[in-house]
Amino acid sequence: MSFWRRLRKFPFLSWLWLIIGALYFVLPLIATLEFSLSWDPELPLKAYQRAFEDNDFWETFLYSNALAVATIVVSVILIVPTAYWIRLRLPEARRLVEFITLMPFVVPAIILVFGLIRIYSSSLDVPFTEIELMPPLTNFKMGTNILIVAGYTVLAMPYMYRSVDTGMRTVDIRTLTEAAQSLGASWFTIIARIILPNIRSALLSGALLTFAIVVGEVTLASFLGVDAFGPYLFLIGQHRAYEPAALSFVTFLLTWLAMGLIQLFTGGQGQAAGAH
Amino acid sequence: MSYLSLTNVTKQFGDTVVVDSFNLEMEKGEFVSFLGPSGCGKTTTLRMVAGFEVPTSGTIKLDGVDITDKAPNQRNVGMIFQAYALFPNMTVAQNIGFGLKVRKMPSEEAKERVNEMISLINLEKHAHKYPYQLSGGQQQRVSLARALAIRPDVLLLDEPLSALDAKIRVSLRAEIRAIQKRLGITAIFVTHDQEEALSISDRIVVMNVGEMEQVGTPFEIYNFPKTQFVANFVGSLNNADAEVVDPANGILAMDGVHFKTADEGMKNRRKGEQVKISVRPERFSFAVEPLKDNVVESTIENITFLGSVVRIQISIGSTKFNMDTFNNPFLELPAIGAKEKVMCSKEAVLVL
Amino acid sequence: MAQTALTLKKNDGTAANWRTWLGIAPFLLFAVLFLFLPSLRLFTASFTDPDGNFTLNNIIQLFSEPFIVNAYKLSIQISAVTALGGGILGFLMAYAVTVGGLPRSLRSVLITFSGVASNFAGVPLAFAFVATIGRQGFITHILRDYFGLNIYDHGFNLYSFAGLSLVYMYFQFPLMVLIMAPALDGLKREWREAAENLGATTAQYWLRVAFPVLLPSILGAMILLFGNAFGAYATAYALTGGRIGIVTIQIGAQIRGDVLYNPGLGYAMAIGMVVIMAISLAGYSWLQAKTERWLR
Repeated sequence: MSFWRRLRKFPFLSWLWLIIGALYFVLPLIATLEFSLSWDPELPLKAYQRAFEDNDFWETFLYSNALAVATIVVSVILIVPTAYWIRLRLPEARRLVEFITLMPFVVPAIILVFGLIRIYSSSLDVPFTEIELMPPLTNFKMGTNILIVAGYTVLAMPYMYRSVDTGMRTVDIRTLTEAAQSLGASWFTIIARIILPNIRSALLSGALLTFAIVVGEVTLASFLGVDAFGPYLFLIGQHRAYEPAALSFVTFLLTWLAMGLIQLFTGGQGQAAGAH
Repeated sequence: MSYLSLTNVTKQFGDTVVVDSFNLEMEKGEFVSFLGPSGCGKTTTLRMVAGFEVPTSGTIKLDGVDITDKAPNQRNVGMIFQAYALFPNMTVAQNIGFGLKVRKMPSEEAKERVNEMISLINLEKHAHKYPYQLSGGQQQRVSLARALAIRPDVLLLDEPLSALDAKIRVSLRAEIRAIQKRLGITAIFVTHDQEEALSISDRIVVMNVGEMEQVGTPFEIYNFPKTQFVANFVGSLNNADAEVVDPANGILAMDGVHFKTADEGMKNRRKGEQVKISVRPERFSFAVEPLKDNVVESTIENITFLGSVVRIQISIGSTKFNMDTFNNPFLELPAIGAKEKVMCSKEAVLVL
Repeated sequence: MAQTALTLKKNDGTAANWRTWLGIAPFLLFAVLFLFLPSLRLFTASFTDPDGNFTLNNIIQLFSEPFIVNAYKLSIQISAVTALGGGILGFLMAYAVTVGGLPRSLRSVLITFSGVASNFAGVPLAFAFVATIGRQGFITHILRDYFGLNIYDHGFNLYSFAGLSLVYMYFQFPLMVLIMAPALDGLKREWREAAENLGATTAQYWLRVAFPVLLPSILGAMILLFGNAFGAYATAYALTGGRIGIVTIQIGAQIRGDVLYNPGLGYAMAIGMVVIMAISLAGYSWLQAKTERWLR
């Protein structure tokens, strides 16, 4: 191929679009990194050191991680059997369940937390009496925990359901189930030993996405008054300059790690969440 | 001078030679099939004619003009794809009119041409439907009309029937051939289906791993295959090892049983040379008067009923052969294990 | 084996009875408790006056109260601008790595990047942009020191409409990439070849075939981007501390304390938002179905 022909085929415009996008993507990260390292020229990692020295950071960060794990567990318990049952026995419920899992797109976090607070800030009484069955969930620690994990499970539902359902489609769980049944396996064995291992990469990508949504989440956490990492980051952002930049960059690395792992497990289509 | 000529056309992808010095001269209005297994280079050759691939070396001339390096959209060559490739956002009429529109044909004239094409493929009732509303066979007919609407110099068909049901495949191939004859258009048809190639073509090019094995009419290809590959690929075949007994008179021995062959090449062989012989199953028959050249004793091993044909497995010596005989209600089939005399003409015994 | 196959078959063939539905009861119960009841509560409350009677006043006020009308206007503007801007940039990038002739390896890199960026939002994103084009930001300084351009003297403000849009774009265009890359993959090579074969130039192919085929996907994706921006709260709050009057911020203020002095109106505002999001999702699904039908 001649030089000119090669030149004519060179995708200038494609490179241009890619470079513009890449700059948009990378510049804020470089800026954050640069800023976080500029506190003390003698001690470039000072901001990171200070941020990690703060007890509140560890407390809120670990707490957020615990919330993420709880959310993932609840999501798996709720969604895997449901998706499985729909594929196996109840295809007529597919549209309904898919509709429900899409609802979080219609009811964004701010609306969801609004509704949750309005419902669960009053006690559950026996109708027409003053007898209290359950105090308001928002009034005690465990109650808020339940509420926020439930809220996160709702927010993660579209991604978790889609991941799991796609996973089940690709391994043809119906045939697997029939084969296992014919060999005399019980339902529990089938789900725990056959289905879960076979959709593990789908589960992992759903779980990592959930993790990415939950750990930095701020809307639900702040309105429910939970001391999670998101509100903490917001708070120190009000008072400090360098530590927030350092923590933002760390958060970015964590998101990157989660997405990188998803890419590794699913080997293709990344997914987008929406904890904005 | 021929209308379309490919001279020493070679295509390499990296180090792999996909098409190796392909030569073909086609007359105007001729229908030629490229037949071969997948990966034999037939599609690549077709795509070079269309302009989607540029030959590594060699020239392609159309009506005396060298088109080897011309862009596809400058060639006026119509192409039909296996997967129909209809534009999903356009109706049948819009699809057919696409080539005319990009050529800026006046709309009145284009409309007339589109209508003419739609009636050619008998889809008048579907002119305003979208591709997804049509069956596969209908879609492929639209694709044919779309390619023909631009009055192409050559029509290229890349396995156009492979995605269709068996019944539609047969009727559509007849339709394609009829339209091709009526319009007198020069056509190249790529297929891996030997029956398709035999039924539709004026000439067939049999290809294998980038090489042309044989070029000839369907009659020649089937009855006088020049290579083992062609003989095996086209139709079914019995193969056996044999020894040359008498080169001058065309006598061979297989397991001690003598066979007579009309093969020309026998004269150049030595006595005692090991060769392969091939006989098509339908060339065998039970021995009746007048006796043919080769009459041999056989044992009936198995009988398989195939519908219009009954396939009888016989053994001659220790070698097993298939013998096909037409089915009819009065057919008296021998018992399995029975000894029967079978015969075949010396022309039926191919030495390859 | 035969036994099992038979039982399965029987269950498939007949209409599922209530016992079969029990299998998804936990999921449905969860959805009712933590999704439908809260939404329903907001819905009924938006038709209730402070004394607990039915009223349409709250809904009517949505369209007359300037405070609310302006919030909706601003939200719609920001969402539209970022959906369009992010949509165009995202499309061009997706184009570049799918059919634009760039090396295949760049594709998976971009997809992973986009997965990260579309999930990188809220507080960290806001801080990142402050560090980038805030008053003391990295780019702000570069522009000032090397190009003599002080963007803050020229009316730019990160905490304004333009600033927020710029920040939103950061998660908008990667989302577009994620949606459009598979759609662009759906363009069959044969379409391009058929078009060329029929005499079309590359421009004609794009204008008459590729772009019309992609149009429903593009519109659908942009609608999704619109909803994505419309529902965003954390990023805007973290960036402006509640000083920009978009709908989500105003709803947040209403949750914290009754800034509208009318709880019912607050609920109505939330429901109005749900309605807009629902319309977006319906539009997206409709366009999606249209594309799928075409490409079947």
